[in-house]
Amino acid sequence: MPTRRGLLKKTLGGAVLLTAAGAVPLALRRTRLREVARGGRLLFFTQAEYSVWAAIAERILARDPTGATEEHGGGPPLASAASVEASGKRANAPAVADVDVAGKADAFLAPLDPASAKDLKQLLALFDNALFSVLTGGPAAPFTQQSPEEQDAQLRAWQTSRLAIRRTGYQAMKRLCCAIYFGSPETFASVGYPGPPYALVKTVLESRR
Amino acid sequence: MIFKGDQVAQDLVLKPDVCIVGSGPGGSMVASRLASAGAKVVVLEEGGHHTKDEFDMQEATAFPRLYQDRGNRATADLSIAVLQGRAVGGGTVVNWTTSYRTPDDVVERWRSEHGAQLTPALLRPHFDEIEARLGIQKVDLEDTNRNNRTLYDGCTKLGWQVDTTNRNVRGCLRTGYCGMGCPVDAKQSAALTYLPDAVAHGADVYANCRVQRIEWNGKRAQAVVGAVLHPQTQQETGRTIRVEPRLVVVAGGALNSPALLLRSGITQGPVGKFTWLHPVVAVGALYKEPIEGFYGAPQSVASHHFAHRPEGAGFFMEAAPVHPMLVGIAMPGFGAPLRSRMALMPNLASSIALMIDGFNGDTGGTVTLRPDGGPRLDYPFDETHYECFRASMKAMARLHLANGAEQVVTFHSLPIVATKESDLAQIDRAPLGPNRFAAFTAHQMGGCRIGSDPSRSVVNPDLRHHFLENLFVADGSVFPTSLGVNPMESIYGVSSFAAERIRAALS
Repeated sequence: MPTRRGLLKKTLGGAVLLTAAGAVPLALRRTRLREVARGGRLLFFTQAEYSVWAAIAERILARDPTGATEEHGGGPPLASAASVEASGKRANAPAVADVDVAGKADAFLAPLDPASAKDLKQLLALFDNALFSVLTGGPAAPFTQQSPEEQDAQLRAWQTSRLAIRRTGYQAMKRLCCAIYFGSPETFASVGYPGPPYALVKTVLESRR
Repeated sequence: MIFKGDQVAQDLVLKPDVCIVGSGPGGSMVASRLASAGAKVVVLEEGGHHTKDEFDMQEATAFPRLYQDRGNRATADLSIAVLQGRAVGGGTVVNWTTSYRTPDDVVERWRSEHGAQLTPALLRPHFDEIEARLGIQKVDLEDTNRNNRTLYDGCTKLGWQVDTTNRNVRGCLRTGYCGMGCPVDAKQSAALTYLPDAVAHGADVYANCRVQRIEWNGKRAQAVVGAVLHPQTQQETGRTIRVEPRLVVVAGGALNSPALLLRSGITQGPVGKFTWLHPVVAVGALYKEPIEGFYGAPQSVASHHFAHRPEGAGFFMEAAPVHPMLVGIAMPGFGAPLRSRMALMPNLASSIALMIDGFNGDTGGTVTLRPDGGPRLDYPFDETHYECFRASMKAMARLHLANGAEQVVTFHSLPIVATKESDLAQIDRAPLGPNRFAAFTAHQMGGCRIGSDPSRSVVNPDLRHHFLENLFVADGSVFPTSLGVNPMESIYGVSSFAAERIRAALS
C-alpha cells in the first residue's frame, strides 16, 4: 500500500518537486507569523502552522469578495429577494478571529493519530510554500504573505485542480474551517438559525418528572 | 451494569459465555436475546455511555462525542464524508429514526446469489417483534416538517411514488435533533431498549473500551483484548480488559468489524471487500417562504420511485436536516459566495439521493488498516456512480422546481443554479470526480458478507465465521449488498436471526 507521502510524491509531480520546494531560500518561504489568540498554548500546531491555518480560515470564511472568489458552475447566482432581505436584517457574522477558528482547530486536531497528523502538517507546509506556489502558477510568496485576491486564487486553484490530492487538501481545510465556524453558537444568528429549542425541551422534561 | 472507562480501576480478566464487540443494533440485539436466555454476556463498546441530559442539541458537541473519528471519518481521499455513530447504542443513538424492513427482493437476492438462508417469511416474526419493541410507526403526513413536505409535494406533482416513513419514536416532540442524540428519550435507540433489556438479565457493558484484537488459535477464538479509554479525553488509561469467552460476536458495524478481523490476522475470505455505502448526493432548493429545516422530524418522507432503473443503479430520495455545521460542510465554495448561500439557510430545503450500490456489477469499497489500526476506507467512483448521481441530482432538482422552488443549487465544487427544466442539462456537463462534488454516506454495510462459499464470503449462512467456529458476526457488515432502504431495522432483524443461531451454538 502506498503511503500518503508516496501518494504526494506521485501525484504532485514527483520527488524532484518536493525536494525543490524544500530548497527555496528561507526569505521566500517564511510564514507570516501571528500571535496565538488569547495567548493560548498550542496543542497540535506549531506557531507557523497555526498562522497558516488562521490565514486559510480567514479566506474560506471571508465576508467580502475579491475578483478571485467569483465562481460559477452554471445558472444565475443563488439568491432570493425575500430571503436576501431577511438576511440583511440579521446580526453581522462574527469575525473569524473572534470565533478563534484556528485555536479551535488546534484543540480539535490534538488527538489526531500520528500518521494523519503528519499528513496534515505536510499539507499546510506545502500550501504555504512559495516555490510550490510559483510552480503551480501562483505568486512567488507563501500563502500567508499573499494579498487576499492571490489567496483566493490559490484556494480556487486547489479546489478545482486536476490533481486529486490538491482537491483533497482543499476539502480537508474547508470542511474543518466551516464545521468550527458554523458550529459555533455565536454565528447562528448570522445564518438565520435561532438555535435549539431549549425552552420546549425543558418544559416537557419537567412535565414528565 | 454499564461501566464507563473511569470506573475500570484495574486490568480485568472476564470469562463470560459470550463476548460481544459493539453495542449498536446488532450487538444490543444479540446481547438482549442471549442474556434473556440465561447466557452470561459481556459487551465491549468503544464509544461512551451518554444519556439525554448530555444531549445539548449542538452539532459542535454531538459530532466529536457521538460519531466515529470525532465526526471526521471519511474515505481515504476525503471524497465521501462518513457519518457513523460511536456510542453505547451505536448508530441508533444518532440516526434519523427511519425504519424499514429489508425489501423482499433484496433478501431473495442474498439467498439466490449468495446462499443466505434468510427469507422474507423467516425474517417476518423478527421484524414484528422489533417494531413492537421500538415503537416503529408510520408518520402522519401532518407531522412532517416543511423540508420533508417539499419532497412529498414535489414528487406528488410529478406523479412519482412517495410516502411518509416509519420512525422508531415514542412521545416525539419533533424538535429536529435526532442526529445529535434525542434530548427527551423519544427515539427508541438500542441504548434505551435492547441494551437495558440485556443488562436487566445480567449482561455487563463496558463503554470506552477499544477492542484491539481477537486472539485465536486453530479454529477457535480464545480471547478479546481491549484498551480502556478515559471517557472525556478518549486517551488510553493504561488499563486493559481481557475477555476469554466461549463464543465471540463481532458487531462493530461495517468498517469497524472488518478492521477488527484484519487487525487480528483473521483474513480468510474477502474481509473488508464489498463494502456498500448508499453514496449520497444532495441538492438545496431555495423557497420564497421559510422552510426552517432545522426543526421538525428530520426525516419523515421518502421516494423509492427510482429504486429500479433500466439505465443503471437505482436510488431513493429522502430529506436531510438543515443545521448550520452540516450545511456549512456540504455547501460548495468559500468566501463571500459561501457566506451568501449560508445566509439563505432558513429558506433552504435539502433533499438527498442515496445510490443503491451492489446491484449493477459494482464492487463497492474496501476496508484496509490505517497505520494506527483503524479502518481505512477506499471507495472509488466509476461511471455507474456518475450516471446515477447525475440522474438523481436532476430528479431532485425537477421535483423542487415542480413544487415552486425559486432556485435549486447543486453541491458541485462550482455549483450549478437551476431555475427551470432547461437548466438541468448543465448537470450532465458538470465535471464529476473525487472532491468535485459533495458526497456523503450515513449507511455503511458489507465488508464481512454472508455466503455459502468461503472463498467469496466471510461468514456462513448462520453468520458464523467460515474458519473460526466460535466466532459470529452480527451487524450490517454481513449484508452482501446494500438495501435500498435505511439499514437500522435490517440490522436488528438479521441480528435477531443470528442470535437464534448463536444460542443454538452455545447450547
